Amino acid sequence: MSDGPAAVPSAEPLLALDGVCTNYGKIRILRDVSLTVGEGEVVALLGLNGAGKTTTMRSILGLTPPRAGTVRYAGQNVTGWPAYKIARLGVGYVPEGRRMFKDLSTLENLQLAENGRSGAWTIQRVFEHLPKLSELRARKSGRLSGGEQEMLSIGRALVANPRLLLVDEPSQGLAPLVVEEVYRILAELKKTGVAILLVEQNALLALRIADRAYVLDGGRVVHAGPAAELAADRDRIRMLMGLEVAT
Amino acid sequence: MIEHIGPQLFNGLVLGAFYAIVAIGLSLIMNLTGTINMAHGSFMTLAGYLAFTLVSRGTPFWFALIAAPLILVVVGVVVERTLVRPLYKREPFYSLLMTFGLSLMAEEIYRLIWGPNGVPFSPPKALAGAAHLGFMSFPTFRIFIAVVLVVAIAALALFLTRTRFGLRLRAAVQDTEMIAALGTNTQVIYAVNFGLGIFLAGIAGVLAAGMLGLSPTSGNALLMPAFVTVIIGGMGSLFGSVVGGVLIGMAISLTTLFIPAASEVSMYVLMAVVLLVRPRGLFGEEGIFG
Repeated sequence: MSDGPAAVPSAEPLLALDGVCTNYGKIRILRDVSLTVGEGEVVALLGLNGAGKTTTMRSILGLTPPRAGTVRYAGQNVTGWPAYKIARLGVGYVPEGRRMFKDLSTLENLQLAENGRSGAWTIQRVFEHLPKLSELRARKSGRLSGGEQEMLSIGRALVANPRLLLVDEPSQGLAPLVVEEVYRILAELKKTGVAILLVEQNALLALRIADRAYVLDGGRVVHAGPAAELAADRDRIRMLMGLEVAT
Repeated sequence: MIEHIGPQLFNGLVLGAFYAIVAIGLSLIMNLTGTINMAHGSFMTLAGYLAFTLVSRGTPFWFALIAAPLILVVVGVVVERTLVRPLYKREPFYSLLMTFGLSLMAEEIYRLIWGPNGVPFSPPKALAGAAHLGFMSFPTFRIFIAVVLVVAIAALALFLTRTRFGLRLRAAVQDTEMIAALGTNTQVIYAVNFGLGIFLAGIAGVLAAGMLGLSPTSGNALLMPAFVTVIIGGMGSLFGSVVGGVLIGMAISLTTLFIPAASEVSMYVLMAVVLLVRPRGLFGEEGIFG
């Protein structure tokens, strides 16, 4: 829950985007995006379809390198670095649509993420926290349900012991009960001190666990502020995202 | 006629194993990067010439059988890093044209170095002669070839399924970007994968030189059947390549026995029949062309 005080920003935040512009081909998707995520902080990145949320994540990870601006992570300028190097610094990715290696088993999907970063998370510990995955360890991940795949996707990111998790639309395509379960897991992760940048179309859902929130529209940041404040201001959410918000 | 069927079937198996190992090399490269390596046959030829040069300078055949493919891997990885890699982001057509051009150049270079005609490359004495299997006798060298090719294919299967690197390689074939996002350097995967395919071509090249002869174009003779093998087996399936190779080998051997004039065309007939029944090939699933 977002009742607690927001993490106090240290001298330099864990992640800082400054004036990031990113294109797909000749089409500019992100325009001058600046945002920060502090150590252990959960930050929601909200906006409509096509607002640039996923592109922001891809820019951070180096999958779609920015054309302009800088991405700083853990005190280093990582702009333009290849994705694998950024991942090895402890940036975990839980992508939209889970992106399982469908022909590989649950266990193999987890093994792929072991990239030498030591820490509290091991495959064994992931299995202890997500016992369902342990039961399904030999099953091909393409044959898991959507909720199971989402958990495997989160587990896969954890095995690499990330300091920052990029979580993209974790509720997409899942039944309400499963969404509750996924958010319960994210809330638990928050307690372990991992920072999370959470992209979500369902604003209220994300604001429940976020400390702060940014709203993107047309590739620009149009709002930044404490999550609790935004969550309490339904009119503002409606105005920013043009959505009728279920209460 | 009937008494020839046994040996001819075995011939078909050996031939099929050649097609399979070349097809597997092609598939490894094609599955991961979409590169259709038209120079694969030229790489095989080079392995044959390297082994020929080593053996004619007094190196034992056994050593050449390992050393020539290893030297070939070095050449292959250099080619991949400098010529193929810049084309990964373009359509497959570009790398197809580039490797085709490369094979034409290679052919001329082989002509300059080793002469336009075939060179004699015979297997060692220990493998000369025939083995008597009771019901038939069969050239020892061909039995040796069958054993080496089967061991090579089995070793590859173990590498892909039992090692960490093999796991990453299989994952990269499914989603290169995601494997990078999990901290794997995909450029290393590309280079090693290309080297693996070339290593298999190298082993096949040395053995084929001893069985089918060695000339500037000898490797290319195996390239077309290997492509047909990939299509029959199903794109993306290495196991399919093994089955496809053996089927084609058998088809060619048996038609050679009964209708010699049709031996060349038999694999295409087989391909047409398979594609009519299974448009993606015997074991093809999604296929790289959707």
